[in-house]
Amino acid sequence: MIPFQFVTAFLLIFMGIYAFLYKRNLIKLILALNIIDCGIHLLLISLGYRLENGVLPTAPIYTGYETLKGTPMVGPIPQALVLTSIVIGVCVLALAMALTINAYRHYGSLDINKLRRLRG
Amino acid sequence: MFGYWDALYFIYVFIIGLIISYILMKWGEKVSMGTRRVGAGTKVYLSGEDEDEIIPQFEHIQGYFTGRHVMWGLIRGINRMFIAFRREHTGLLTDYVAYLLVTVAIILGVLIIWG
Amino acid sequence: MNALPFLIIVPLFGAFSMPLIKLISEKVRDIWAVIISAVTLGVAADVFYTIWKTNKIIVYTLGDTTPLGKGVGFPIRIVWEVDLLGALIAVTIAFVSLLAIIYSLEYMRHDTGLDKYYTLILILELGMLGIVITGDIFNFYVFLEIMSIASYALVAFRNDTWEGIEAGIKYMFVGSLASSFILLGIALLYGQYGTLTMAYLSQYITREPTFVSKVALAFILGGLLFKSGAVPVHMWLADAHPAAPSSISAMLSGLVIKAGGVYAIARILFSIYSISLNIRTLGWIIIFFACLTLIVGNAMAVIQTDMKRLFAFSSVGQIGYILLGIGIGLAAYGTDIGQIALAGAIYHTVNHAIMKALLFLVAGAVLHEVGTKNLNELSGLARRMPLTSFAFLVGAAAIIGMPPLNGFASKWLLYESSALYNPFLAAVAVVGTAFCTAAYIRVLFTFFGKESEKVKAAKDPGKAMIIPMIILILAIIIMGLLPWQINESIMIPTAKMLEESGKYVLAVLGG
Repeated sequence: MIPFQFVTAFLLIFMGIYAFLYKRNLIKLILALNIIDCGIHLLLISLGYRLENGVLPTAPIYTGYETLKGTPMVGPIPQALVLTSIVIGVCVLALAMALTINAYRHYGSLDINKLRRLRG
Repeated sequence: MFGYWDALYFIYVFIIGLIISYILMKWGEKVSMGTRRVGAGTKVYLSGEDEDEIIPQFEHIQGYFTGRHVMWGLIRGINRMFIAFRREHTGLLTDYVAYLLVTVAIILGVLIIWG
Repeated sequence: MNALPFLIIVPLFGAFSMPLIKLISEKVRDIWAVIISAVTLGVAADVFYTIWKTNKIIVYTLGDTTPLGKGVGFPIRIVWEVDLLGALIAVTIAFVSLLAIIYSLEYMRHDTGLDKYYTLILILELGMLGIVITGDIFNFYVFLEIMSIASYALVAFRNDTWEGIEAGIKYMFVGSLASSFILLGIALLYGQYGTLTMAYLSQYITREPTFVSKVALAFILGGLLFKSGAVPVHMWLADAHPAAPSSISAMLSGLVIKAGGVYAIARILFSIYSISLNIRTLGWIIIFFACLTLIVGNAMAVIQTDMKRLFAFSSVGQIGYILLGIGIGLAAYGTDIGQIALAGAIYHTVNHAIMKALLFLVAGAVLHEVGTKNLNELSGLARRMPLTSFAFLVGAAAIIGMPPLNGFASKWLLYESSALYNPFLAAVAVVGTAFCTAAYIRVLFTFFGKESEKVKAAKDPGKAMIIPMIILILAIIIMGLLPWQINESIMIPTAKMLEESGKYVLAVLGG
């Protein structure tokens, strides 16, 4: 079985890094940052679904946990981690947006290659 | 095994240095011709040219004396290294990201091969 | 009673009560910020004294203390674990933060939005304190991000200048990418071993060091080297530290790159990975980056014309010394040389925090009084600002490593251990110091040169800016007069405690 969730997660991470290397618009870079975060979140959340005694665990919210009491439950820790990480990601996103607006005010452009007065 | 350093040693060395410099100064005064007592000899002399004296037909350094002129020889001597370092610091975000990726790649390679 | 949780509670409470306190009056707000940071320093000193006296690791758990009767194999909890190194860095953080806050009472008086400024500075302090006391790797990531976000915002605090915004954007985007790499490493470790507590991780990795754990280490180490400003990834540091307000530069250069970078590298390499991977390889990776950092950082400092940028590049160079000590400590693990190198690295971390804070405060005083930080325009300050120039003289002499001051002791330990381990490394370190000396002599000549027109009206700054500098000068001189005693009684036990990763694991398993 191909672990599609891991493949997708790393694909997302590499997409983000590609955008970081080849895109110049600040808004696109913010999106790239978020895509990388999403990839890592996907990786983390899929780590909760590990086989226990040959049975795939079920998510407790959707599948009537009362009736399926015998089957193992999804690991709760990755979900808590992802929740924390999403909050951090939102903070970074908000700050990045604020800085982008300020950069546009000072430079009149969103091109990252124009923001290079600090060098040498 | 490992030599330690005590603040007292510094004070001893400092006192010895003071005594030696005092003896040297006394000796210098005794053998001197007296040029340090009168005229231009009394002025404090650091390095370079005299800032107050203007010699005709001589190109003086304009402006005031700053740190820019110090370490001139060092900077000039290995100028090529400095130019290379400055050129690498491009100020482009893309390059910063690329260097981060290169760092991770180096560590990963070394850890996989010898780790 | 265990004072450890108050290390987080006090600054957290202070930070978020700041907007409310500001409603009373602005004067009360300033006093409140000073009181909060002073109390934090008291708590940190108490924690440090307790650990130093008993020589035991303090473990504090948020959640269950025992797995018994809960139906799981291990207790679900977050562990805070402080050993002597963490406590030592915590005291340094609280000390320098207090001085930076006192300094900014006068330095930042003309700015607006100061309640946000004090909130952010307390959050920055809180994030760093969290990093040094935590024993849980995801908790470590959370505190790292708290610290990083606060410092991104503080770098760009003066959003009316292009410099702050540009530096903020570069720092923020690449810094977030580095944080994402650290999170990726943590996720890989969790996926492989199913735990986040550092002590358990250390145990499991020792039992089966897999390929995934190496990949995870590469990502975490890359991110942390970025955060500490090692050379191929030092460029954000040289842009961001000069652009911040000077009190913040003092905290960024003195503390953030230590707590978020060097301390975390030492903790992860020594406490989690030390016995499982090939320790010589780990050590030589760090030594490689340390040598690059030493040469490039110090050399770039020589040719700068901006005073704060020069200090920032010098910070990069000094980080090289600390990394060199850690690297030799790893490569010569278990020998006397390794222990002395590690003690020197820890000593230099504390020393550099104090020295670089002093230098940035001096730069801030000059910027505040003269209005420029360009070295070509600042000639002849010494006659107009004698106290500030004296402070610079002491700081520069200490950072070069002149004998009666504290920089000498730590640098001497590093030179000696590196010369015994591999003479080539000692040569590199000495070349770095030569460049460092050249850079500071340029600033020194500028300060003591002929007077220029710009500095005619300058005078020494007010009390709130002078007092922190005087305290830092006193700290440098006192630490310089007792190097032997400090090394024997604090640094060597700290290095020993860091090296014994078994004890670090047992402290959690036993509690």
